Amino acid sequence: MNRSLALLLGLAAVVVIAVLPIWMGPFYTRVAQLFFFSAGLAIAWNILGGFSGYWSFGHTAFIGMGAFAAAHLVGQIGPVGSGPWSMIVPVVFAGLLCGLFALVIAYPILRLRGIYFAIAMLGVGQVVGELVNNIRWFQGGVGVFLAAPVPAGMPPEDFFYYVFAALLIVCFVVSVLVRNSRFGYALLAVREDEDTAMMLGVATERYKILAFVLSATLVGTLGAVYGYSVGYFTTYTVFRLDFSLNMIVFCLIGGIGTLFGPIIGTAIMLFLTQVLLSRFLDIHLLITGALVVAIILLVPGGILGAVKQKFARRAPAAKSVEA
Amino acid sequence: MLFLQTTLNGLVLGGIYSLAAVGFSLVFGVLGIVNLTHGIFVIAGAYAAMVLYARLGLDPLLAMLPIGAVLFAVGYAYQRTVIQWAISRASLVASLVVTFGVAMIGRNLLQLVFGPDTHTITPSYSFSSVTFGPLQIDVVRLVALGASLVLLIALALVLSRTHFGRAIRATAQQPLAAQLSGLNVRNLHGLTFGLGAALAGASGAIIGIIQPFSSASEVAWTLNAFIVVVLGGIGSPAGALVGGLLLGLINAYTAQYIGPSLTQAAMFLVLVIMLMVRPNGLLGNAFGESR
Repeated sequence: MNRSLALLLGLAAVVVIAVLPIWMGPFYTRVAQLFFFSAGLAIAWNILGGFSGYWSFGHTAFIGMGAFAAAHLVGQIGPVGSGPWSMIVPVVFAGLLCGLFALVIAYPILRLRGIYFAIAMLGVGQVVGELVNNIRWFQGGVGVFLAAPVPAGMPPEDFFYYVFAALLIVCFVVSVLVRNSRFGYALLAVREDEDTAMMLGVATERYKILAFVLSATLVGTLGAVYGYSVGYFTTYTVFRLDFSLNMIVFCLIGGIGTLFGPIIGTAIMLFLTQVLLSRFLDIHLLITGALVVAIILLVPGGILGAVKQKFARRAPAAKSVEA
Repeated sequence: MLFLQTTLNGLVLGGIYSLAAVGFSLVFGVLGIVNLTHGIFVIAGAYAAMVLYARLGLDPLLAMLPIGAVLFAVGYAYQRTVIQWAISRASLVASLVVTFGVAMIGRNLLQLVFGPDTHTITPSYSFSSVTFGPLQIDVVRLVALGASLVLLIALALVLSRTHFGRAIRATAQQPLAAQLSGLNVRNLHGLTFGLGAALAGASGAIIGIIQPFSSASEVAWTLNAFIVVVLGGIGSPAGALVGGLLLGLINAYTAQYIGPSLTQAAMFLVLVIMLMVRPNGLLGNAFGESR
């Protein structure tokens, strides 16, 4: 895609996002807010899972850690600054803490590959949640408060709509920058054939760790803001297996390892589960699970993959262009 | 004395971990699939035993037979359809996601039918215990351990002595060569998966009488099975036994000397260390160097 056209489209998207809440009712604003949050998570997961092929089944650990880190920072030192700006320090702190945690566990955990890495991360999610729940200092069992500094006169759903929209844009821009850099190509090389990449002089270890830390930082940031948006949470609100699953599923449906796949997948899934099937909350897991199975069996490459394949079939001479 | 009692408790618990994991281990070793639905099979077995005991008064130990038979059929059908398709259309890693998806479906279904509360099965003998000198052990746990060992030994004998067992081992080592020798590999994969599911269901019936369970505990049982396999080694009843006993001991010692809330963390720490130091487990892969 042409660079100025892309910029123009991006600008148009930002304008649309900015004015939409004026027409949308509170329900749809809330759905949109959830969409921005989930799409941000999916993009962050995709930086590690999609680009480098290391599928984490436990990214919810970073959502929970981010939320609890922000709450405890506010609890310890009180709000920094006033109004909505007081969110910045706790949120950034939460993101950095998650990044630091990722950095600490990265070296041992990223030595594992494929299924072993996936399960190890599943374990990390489970264990961190368990520790936060059981060690009294964290107060995971009784729950913590994180008051949202919503500006006066603004509905909270509108406020968080804009905050999550901004975060989604940040995640997307980071993802684009990564994808088009030397770093991004190194990650793709790791995904395609790690040993060959290493042999050719790609510093696979360093790039993998960097992707892991970056992904964790973004997820932790989103988790902290999520903590603000719910106001009060326990371990089970933020350490949730379905968060981990959703990140994978959204990417899978849109197209893993692509730039727009996570966003498209999130949009489709949230439309299905929140709007069309919103009355069946008790079978939410079932629907998600069934869709996962259906997608793997019917379109293993995700929607972008299927679309690309169709175009490739129609015009076999044209070079396939990465999205 | 406390140490001995803790050790005993750990070993008894370990026997049950072994049985709960051996089906997972078999499927992992023969088909190369990490079956994240395994925990669902275990918990489904526990619920089935609970229903059979409440409605028909069937003892959970006897209920293992019908539960195993039903889960064998379910496992066979599941492997021949969903898992087989996922592998042939996408990849082996995709089977991980598919089994994760099916686990979500199963967990939701169990939740709809039985509610989110934890349950236990309490047969008549559940409150009696026997003493060996100063050591004490619940009859339930002793019975559970005995049943686990019997099933593990039976499986070991089937794998080593019968034609069916030889066919399974051949398929695990060299699928292509096995097929060339006239074995129906697809069918054998289905049967192995069914066997794994049946053993998981049977272990669930036992777990139901010694531990509270709910639909949410399926994740823990899947993870436990994985840890057992990583500790002991892939594919063999002996590996599962070694891994299970080790896991039971780790669990018991951590709960006794460090803190009961840290058992999961300790088990997981051991898992990661083991994966880095000796990824093939203590006994290695039972099916040789083919993988």
